[in-house]
Amino acid sequence: MTKVLITGMGAISPLGADLPGSFARALAGDCAIGPASADIAKWLPNVLLARAAAEPHTMLDAKHASLDRASQFALVAAGEAMSAAGITPQPGDARRFGVFVGIGFGGAHTVDGLYERFQSAVQSEGKRNPTVVHPLSVPRMMANAAAAAISMTYGLNGPSNTYSVACASSAIAIGEAFHAIRDGYLDAAIVVGCEAMLTPGSLLAWNALRVMAKPDANNPARSCRPFSQDRSGFVLGEGGAAIVLESAARAQARQQPALGELCGYGRSSDAAHLTAPSSAEQVFAMQQALADAGLQPQHIQYLNAHGTATEAGDVVETESIRSVFGDALQQLAISSTKSMHGHLIGASGILEFALAVMAMNSGSLPPTATLDTPDPRCDLDFIPQHARHGCQVEAIMSNSFAFGGSNASLVARRHHA
Amino acid sequence: MLEEIIKNYLINTKGKDPALFSDPALQVSALGLDSLDMVEMLFEIEDRCGFQLPDPSRYPKMAFREMLDDIEKAIREHNNGELPAFNLEAGK
Repeated sequence: MTKVLITGMGAISPLGADLPGSFARALAGDCAIGPASADIAKWLPNVLLARAAAEPHTMLDAKHASLDRASQFALVAAGEAMSAAGITPQPGDARRFGVFVGIGFGGAHTVDGLYERFQSAVQSEGKRNPTVVHPLSVPRMMANAAAAAISMTYGLNGPSNTYSVACASSAIAIGEAFHAIRDGYLDAAIVVGCEAMLTPGSLLAWNALRVMAKPDANNPARSCRPFSQDRSGFVLGEGGAAIVLESAARAQARQQPALGELCGYGRSSDAAHLTAPSSAEQVFAMQQALADAGLQPQHIQYLNAHGTATEAGDVVETESIRSVFGDALQQLAISSTKSMHGHLIGASGILEFALAVMAMNSGSLPPTATLDTPDPRCDLDFIPQHARHGCQVEAIMSNSFAFGGSNASLVARRHHA
Repeated sequence: MLEEIIKNYLINTKGKDPALFSDPALQVSALGLDSLDMVEMLFEIEDRCGFQLPDPSRYPKMAFREMLDDIEKAIREHNNGELPAFNLEAGK
């Protein structure tokens, strides 16, 4: 089995137009949450959103202007990660280079736009034919649109796989790419998570689930409050993040420095309830990730929690972390960066993993920025309110637990060349 | 206007050489459009005229001028013989 190194990372998130910008704002404890646009607020006046810090199409060639917004986020994040890794299109080993994408809901903007156009034509009193819609609507909305765009943009002939596992989508994409390289099926992969569904249609659906945060009266930006006694749910975000993974041999051959070693991946399914989490299977996912990495709980110093700010989610995850880490909790710092960037669903796993790798390398840990009044049942070190600096971090864990009961846990450690 | 809309699309979005269109005998097949390109191109017209043009697979066998005439004929048939004024900018 070969070592798998992280050689490039990128993100376009509510916190920033790139990964360093996103990380800096996370360390500042700055929450990128705000009110919805007028077309959404008209029907859902209390809904909050975490919009991306930049418009993705402005960062891409004009030929990508008509792609779904999720695919545009994917291309922007992939561009930053590939550039950081020093990889240009059409690599010589293109058949050994895969594309792994995680997305929860494919093409929400395209689907919403299609129905909006249809309804508007229906109401045009015969002036427009409701059935005339763009012929590329299907390739824009298909779940693997982003994977297709990336493989074509970079000329990558390895597998181009898309994982749709709700909130765990991109964590699963990372793990599957990791194992494909570690086990010798590939030498490199670009892994991307993307999500863009801050549309009227999808927000109606999310609102009906009753899991969305209510606006904080004093400061709406601080409305997502994981592990807090006064939590009220999560805030939907949008964006994309990407990492480049390479076998140690490939990275060494081109003398590419590594940002860390991806070393552990665990996954499990609750097989119990559609939305309510199960501690036993979360524990199993985390334990598998540690065993896969050959590490013990005391080797992990920072954990980026799934931490969605739902009552069931926070309390069960706290129990699960306590079960896995036991005495090692004394030196484990945990945070939920969703308090600042919201829940990016299919992109959340990879954005949070990338932020955790940045924390490992910098020794600065992003906070759970809105944790003013901890829930007594969530009594671990959740890095309340303010970032922590000067920490020695040798290894990190990142958790993603999805609707549908799918759990993923990833472990990375410092790479000592 | 029909010709302008199609030419603009082919030049600006598909990167075709504007010089191609100065040849009066230009064949559609010489434009190098695949079937997806063809339906995208036709959508530029369909979006403005509000109905779907019939059977796009006929066009690659035609001259560019013949295709324009054919499209105009289809639009007139749909509009009691009239050719409505189209916006040069797409509605989207």
